[in-house]
Amino acid sequence: MFLVRTLHKWFGLVLGLQFLIWALSGAVMALLDHHKVSGEHAVLPVAQLASGLNPAPLAAVEAAVGAPVTGLELKPLFDRWVYQAETPSGVRLLDAETTRRIEVDATAARTLAVARYAGAASVERVDLVTASTHETRDMALPVWRVGFADADHTALFVSRATGEVLGAKTDTWRLWDIAWMLHIMNYGDRQSFNHPLIVTVATGVTWLALSGLILLFRAFRPSDVAWIAAPFERLAARRRGRARVIGTPSAGE
Amino acid sequence: MIRLPALARSTHKWLALFVGLQAVLWTAGGIYMTAVHIDIIHGDRLVKAAPQPALALTGLVEPAHLAHLPQGLKSARLETQLGRAVYVVDASGGKALFDARTGEKLSPLGKAGAEARAKALFAESGAIVSTEYLTKAPLEMQTRHVPVWRVEFEGAWRPTFYISPYTGELVTRRHDLWRLFDVVWMLHIMDYDDRQDVNNILLQGFTWLTVLGSATGGWLLLYSFRRRRRRRAA
Repeated sequence: MFLVRTLHKWFGLVLGLQFLIWALSGAVMALLDHHKVSGEHAVLPVAQLASGLNPAPLAAVEAAVGAPVTGLELKPLFDRWVYQAETPSGVRLLDAETTRRIEVDATAARTLAVARYAGAASVERVDLVTASTHETRDMALPVWRVGFADADHTALFVSRATGEVLGAKTDTWRLWDIAWMLHIMNYGDRQSFNHPLIVTVATGVTWLALSGLILLFRAFRPSDVAWIAAPFERLAARRRGRARVIGTPSAGE
Repeated sequence: MIRLPALARSTHKWLALFVGLQAVLWTAGGIYMTAVHIDIIHGDRLVKAAPQPALALTGLVEPAHLAHLPQGLKSARLETQLGRAVYVVDASGGKALFDARTGEKLSPLGKAGAEARAKALFAESGAIVSTEYLTKAPLEMQTRHVPVWRVEFEGAWRPTFYISPYTGELVTRRHDLWRLFDVVWMLHIMDYDDRQDVNNILLQGFTWLTVLGSATGGWLLLYSFRRRRRRRAA
């Protein structure tokens, strides 16, 4: 037991701070509503387009794409139907009726983002993200970052290739992401939690927790639980006393 | 007046009594979640990474026919499934699968169709052990939709594919490493019900008690290394 106590103390000294950080970051993430963190409330569903679609024939699509097509999708993009063609050299976006090539430039990205934005604030700025950032680490780049002037600093991300809104990030997410960084001990890109540092520290901290659990069996003395046990003991004593009074009718005298 | 070291020891002890077991589950579960790579957990290796072949567009049913479906068209996708060009159509009435050359409706897929799709997507060589048609989503499908074909393969960790009868698509894949991860995750977020809610009151209470528990542990450290120093000084 002495060894367990010593190890608990030393593991606590070396790794205790990380355990505190895990508990604290975990507590913060448990408090932040995950619906708000995901930013789903900031994005509207895709609006249905009125019928009257007259898509161009496949031969015209093939000619307009000019590359082997491995997949083709006909879908609404804000105010019109588009063909999204997958080719070995990337995605091509065409107007579904005219087969004219659509480029998702800054202006288009701004329009697409505003159409799906659930708030009422205006667009603050539009930037092209070509190198992965914390906000875009799970998205296929390049993406347009459309920032809105609301209290939560909402940003919508529009794929330059497909025009799709890939997600939204808010201040709630940014706070959550700091807790996440501390929790997964990845202070770089905050993405992977499968790295040697965290596995090693987690193993050490497991021993810290386990040794603490073992110590609990020795940590409590009768005096610790006296405040719980006392009323029961008093009750028992009183009952014993009464039993003695009834059970011994002045025989010994 | 209670002495400070005694107060630190007593609070640490009592907090640990409440959160101690959970702290072991958190940290030991943490080892599993960090040591086994998330791509393995997701079963990425189970799915064949074959690129889609180029489509021969001539002679296929024109998308214009889809646009005039009686039910409102949401989107349509032309792709190759089992070496044949198909349309995956999403309309207000639901999703459906069509042969893009003949226009024949292929969905809902029968047992043979679902097994063929599962086999073509499976990256390993194991045979199919069982195929079931599920109308009630099992826990491991999470929020995904039913009905679905559940195809289990022979192989390490019981690999299982879920194939949509309406689109022929691989809805999700599971194996025992994922299933164990899910149990560990359940214990980690303390949602023993549907294993999804990370904002439950139990977790919120326990995490803050653990913050206090580890903070008092740090406080206790101030008194824990003193004795030896004193002895040396004496």
